[in-house]
Amino acid sequence: MRKTLLLLLAVAVTTISGCKQSSKAPSGGNVTPTPAARQITIAFLPKSKGNAYFVSCAKGAQKAADELGDRLIIDGPTDPDPARQNEIVENWITLGVDVIAASCENKEGISTALRKAEAKGIKVVTYDADALPDARSFFVNQATPQGIGYALMDEAARLCESNGEFAVITGSLTAENQTEWRKFVEERRAAAYPNMKCVAVEACDDLKDKAQSETTALLSTYPNVKLILSTTSLGVPGAAEAIKQAGKTGAVKNIGLGLPNENKRYVHDGVTQSVILWKTADLGYLTIYAADALAKGALKSGDKTFKAGSLGEFEIQDDNIMLGKPFTFNKDNIDQFDF
Amino acid sequence: MKNSGLKPVLLRHETILFVVLVAEWIFFDAVGHNFGTYDNTCDILRHSCEIGLLALAMTPVILTGGIDLSVGSLLGLCAILFGKFWRDAGMPIPLAAACTIGVGALAGGLNASLIAWLRLPPLIVTLGTFSLFRGLAEAITHGVDTFTDFPASFLFLGQERWLGIPAQALVFTAAGIFFWLLIHRTTFGRSFRAIGFSPEGTRYAGIPVGHRMAMVYVLAGIVSAIAAIIYTARLGQAKADAGTGYELFAITAVVLGGTSIFGGVGSVHGTLLGVAAIAVLHSGIAHALLPGEMAGMLTGVLLILALAGPALPKMISGLRARKSTPRLAKQIP
Repeated sequence: MRKTLLLLLAVAVTTISGCKQSSKAPSGGNVTPTPAARQITIAFLPKSKGNAYFVSCAKGAQKAADELGDRLIIDGPTDPDPARQNEIVENWITLGVDVIAASCENKEGISTALRKAEAKGIKVVTYDADALPDARSFFVNQATPQGIGYALMDEAARLCESNGEFAVITGSLTAENQTEWRKFVEERRAAAYPNMKCVAVEACDDLKDKAQSETTALLSTYPNVKLILSTTSLGVPGAAEAIKQAGKTGAVKNIGLGLPNENKRYVHDGVTQSVILWKTADLGYLTIYAADALAKGALKSGDKTFKAGSLGEFEIQDDNIMLGKPFTFNKDNIDQFDF
Repeated sequence: MKNSGLKPVLLRHETILFVVLVAEWIFFDAVGHNFGTYDNTCDILRHSCEIGLLALAMTPVILTGGIDLSVGSLLGLCAILFGKFWRDAGMPIPLAAACTIGVGALAGGLNASLIAWLRLPPLIVTLGTFSLFRGLAEAITHGVDTFTDFPASFLFLGQERWLGIPAQALVFTAAGIFFWLLIHRTTFGRSFRAIGFSPEGTRYAGIPVGHRMAMVYVLAGIVSAIAAIIYTARLGQAKADAGTGYELFAITAVVLGGTSIFGGVGSVHGTLLGVAAIAVLHSGIAHALLPGEMAGMLTGVLLILALAGPALPKMISGLRARKSTPRLAKQIP
């Protein structure tokens, strides 16, 4: 009896799948650039679905898809299982989407799935976090280290009227991205603001508590410090708490890289002057415009610029579409953002 | 099966589950896009292979009345050790795989000796090794080291098809046949059930209970290692968080397949149907463009229905019996 059941299962599955094999034309199988003829399906993969950063990216993506009349599928892992991103991409491949836009949790792991998609004629763009270059056509680059470093230093100089001492809180002294950002902060200072002086660089090990204690120590060691600049998102609220508790609100300015939500309170209290990042909704918006253009054949490698709807023109460096200069969140605009 | 009418067969758990599976398939094929294609069938097989292997190994464990919570963590540990053997120790892939399976057997042996010879409860022992194995994996890689760039000949196992069938499905089929024969066609299988019903009774019947129990946990360790190698081949990377939560998927599949969590009752084909029902549900939801969270929800509903279904008629007849007894009691005096 058991054997009969197993046999039945085997027969049923094979027949059902067998006859279905060719009955539906795989729409993603051969994407030919026929604009306006057919609705384009774009699959949008965040690193994780619940993360406020990606939720606001997805909002921008949805807006772009609505404007373009494309169908947008948004799905991502809810847990940190790296296999999930691959499974989602592989499901999209059989589903037959036209373009996949992915933010990659793990470069190498996801690249095998993305390459498979490309082999099936599905276009691939990445945003936020890149895959291996051979697994996608374009990367929508939200910020370069130079852009971030220069933006931080320019904002610091604006607040200090281009002279005086400042100190830097960094995530760690060894992390590659942090080192890179600090290098460009220094490059900008030396070139444009010679009257400003960086008196100390302290590491907070990406801990808010440590950022707070390091800042407290800095404020007493260097009483002339006019500004604290954090190159890590946890440094900004940590330093703000230290400045507030030292009673130096407003006297010592506080800026850095970070998410608006973590810093709203301090910005409204006047402890933190500006938080620098990019507009995540614009990142999603630009990504979808790029994905759409890629599917329609309007965006090709070698292009130097790209026009994305109401956001206007963007520069392309090699295969990176540049979102442009970072955005400064301050008292006037921070409440408009929720991530 | 002496009085084998059609009714007992139709009401068997496996039959009902099979009907559910077919219904799932027909439903998702109707509402989903490109769901019932051959390509997707292959993808379902590929995605469910590791959890399917773990569920196969979990079946004899649960049959003996035990449980193994450490299989997912062991998968993670084996995956990164496989990477270590290959990249850092410079072993060729087959040797690295053999060593990994050896480690799996050792780790299973640790569970086995604690459970069979020290007579500690399986739930507690494997809860301990659940943390231990994952912790080891994270300690070895410091949580950040990832193994990639495996040769294409190895990735074939996880990503390509051989004669039109996903390569790992062949391993899965072999494991399925092995476990089916072990449980349904050997005296070992019968002794697993006997242990599940009554370990003491089985001991008095002259069966080496400790030895048999040790065997199922060692087997679970070996199968976890095999699943780890397939996982690595499928993703092309090994990281310490591989297989997080897989133990619960495997247990769900086994229980959904009709194996009693108290031991003694269950079948391998039931487990296979359980794995298939969950895998088809996950893939179907993605292809019907429904939110992925629904998969977890529906799996839960499916499991509860599968367990409550057979219990309902019993409960109804129990209620009837209770209603009728008081009346009788009144009439007696």
